[in-house]
Amino acid sequence: MGFWSFPVLLVMIFLRAPIGLAMMLCGIGGLYFAMGGSHMFLAKLKSETYGTFSTYSLTVIPMFLLMGQFATLSGMSKALFKAAESFLGHRRGGVAMAAVGSCAGFGAICGSSLATAATMSRVALPELKRYGYSGGFSTATLAAGGTLGILIPPSVILVIYAILTEQNIAKLFLAAFIPGILAAIGYIITISIYVRVHPDAAGTREPVPMNERFRALFDVWPVIAVFALVVGGIYLGWFNPTEGAAVGAAGTGVIALVTGNLTWEIFKESIIATATSTAMIFFIVLGAGFYNGFLALSQLPQELSNWVVGQGFSPWTVLVLVLAFYLVFGCLMDSLSMILLTIPIFFPVISMLDFGMSAEHVAIWFGILVLIVVEVGLITPPVGMNLFIINAMDPQTRMTDTYKAVMWFVTSDILRVIILLLFPIITLVFIP
Amino acid sequence: MLSIMDRIARTMAVIGGGVLVALVLLVCISVSGRRLNTLGHSEWFAWISQTMADALVATGVRPITGDFEILEAGVAFAIFSFLPICQLYGAHATVDIFTNGLPSKINRWIVIFWEFVLTAVIILITWRLFAGMQSKLSNGETTFLLQFPIWWAYAASFAAAVVASLVGAYTAFARVAEAVTGRKYLPYSEGAIH
Repeated sequence: MGFWSFPVLLVMIFLRAPIGLAMMLCGIGGLYFAMGGSHMFLAKLKSETYGTFSTYSLTVIPMFLLMGQFATLSGMSKALFKAAESFLGHRRGGVAMAAVGSCAGFGAICGSSLATAATMSRVALPELKRYGYSGGFSTATLAAGGTLGILIPPSVILVIYAILTEQNIAKLFLAAFIPGILAAIGYIITISIYVRVHPDAAGTREPVPMNERFRALFDVWPVIAVFALVVGGIYLGWFNPTEGAAVGAAGTGVIALVTGNLTWEIFKESIIATATSTAMIFFIVLGAGFYNGFLALSQLPQELSNWVVGQGFSPWTVLVLVLAFYLVFGCLMDSLSMILLTIPIFFPVISMLDFGMSAEHVAIWFGILVLIVVEVGLITPPVGMNLFIINAMDPQTRMTDTYKAVMWFVTSDILRVIILLLFPIITLVFIP
Repeated sequence: MLSIMDRIARTMAVIGGGVLVALVLLVCISVSGRRLNTLGHSEWFAWISQTMADALVATGVRPITGDFEILEAGVAFAIFSFLPICQLYGAHATVDIFTNGLPSKINRWIVIFWEFVLTAVIILITWRLFAGMQSKLSNGETTFLLQFPIWWAYAASFAAAVVASLVGAYTAFARVAEAVTGRKYLPYSEGAIH
């Protein structure tokens, strides 16, 4: 029965049921049939909702979301872009490279891809236009740059993964760091190839004098300070992830206040934005809790992993198939729902396979690979969420132009996944 | 009606957000207290100046007792208060790529159908939360450190959940009204943000 619940769930989701609701209905329905009555789920509901919403390890989520909202108001996006642009802008494709670089910087204080893409577009799109960068190339660059928001710690999705698989959040953040930097470098290389293939896609400009460059660089110190405090503090054990996120929210909030961007009206709007995404995420988490409770009861994950191991498939084949599944589904579903839906099923399978590493290393490495692959879904035509967000901000650019240019970045992503897959050491170098 | 519902939902969200911001400050104060207390007891600080270390400890800086109990109860309340606006703005995550091929009229009724199911589930949650509150009230359970009755936290969350049920019911009926009359009863009729 556990097996049959999955197709039912997928049909409901594809028929536009809210994802959390679909998972909850499957969980409740499954418990109803498994127990032969409603007493079980009614009893469970008495404490489960409050219990989920008040789980200590999950309190990190609204904190990080609030931190990201304040970060978008802090004016740091502008400072970051200016600094990156003054160093890179005069190169061929340099303004686009600067956009990627500043997205990476912004990702260090914001844990969400959509927020990073939207915030950086507001700053960088007009500048790219001004220096004669073509519309599709500009939007594609920012869509790809936005995915750095979730790859570079802090990252809301990594937090969820850590909770689901009972891994150490600090270690996952640390492991995501090099792949995140690699992503930014990969995008910059992609840009330099793109502007050589399409020389008309990018304009040029004069270099900025050295002293101005360093002045611009100095202006980003609050970003570095907040990032170092939050991620460093969590890693050094000064505070746990929830406390780190609270410190980060306070830090970005103070910056937003000092720069005068945080008026009462804007504060309310950022609270509303935090509220809708928090409620959306927690409703999915709640649904996933019910569905996973039922799955555990049905023993499907154990049976599946026993079956996979019994078949004697090569671990690498299984891993590649799982990642391919994420790549396809990532184009259909938002990353968070997909992680909550599939990790409880796939993770037991992966952790049973022998990759010649410790269980913890496999868990961390797999988490980073999954994170990257689901993020590719955010920029893959025709349904990538980042593409829509940015295209909506630039009405003159046709969606098809964005699609064409973004495939270059998707290629760069896939190459990076292959590299990280072949060389686990890149991800695990700092993990003892 | 929409403006009343919109105001209720937004007010609830801002109250929840206010609680969240207060919790951020609480955690920051508690963390600073703990760090300073650790510093006052650290060997290297005593090595630099025993007097200063003693003075620091003597100020009584320490973490706030039971801060995580307040945090858990507060975050639960905040999330329940965020539900109404999520309902009203149609912000729940969905996959619409497959249904987009269908005529918009059918899509509209699909959305209405799920809106009713969702509201029914939220009302179910609210009802069970009330039952949960009753059992916490009768068994007199308190938190470990602060010893405040757990049913207080349940009661706060229940109040927010009642508003969520109300707004959810309005949203569901407003969607029907929009489909039938063609007039606008919701802020984001197409469920544009998610």
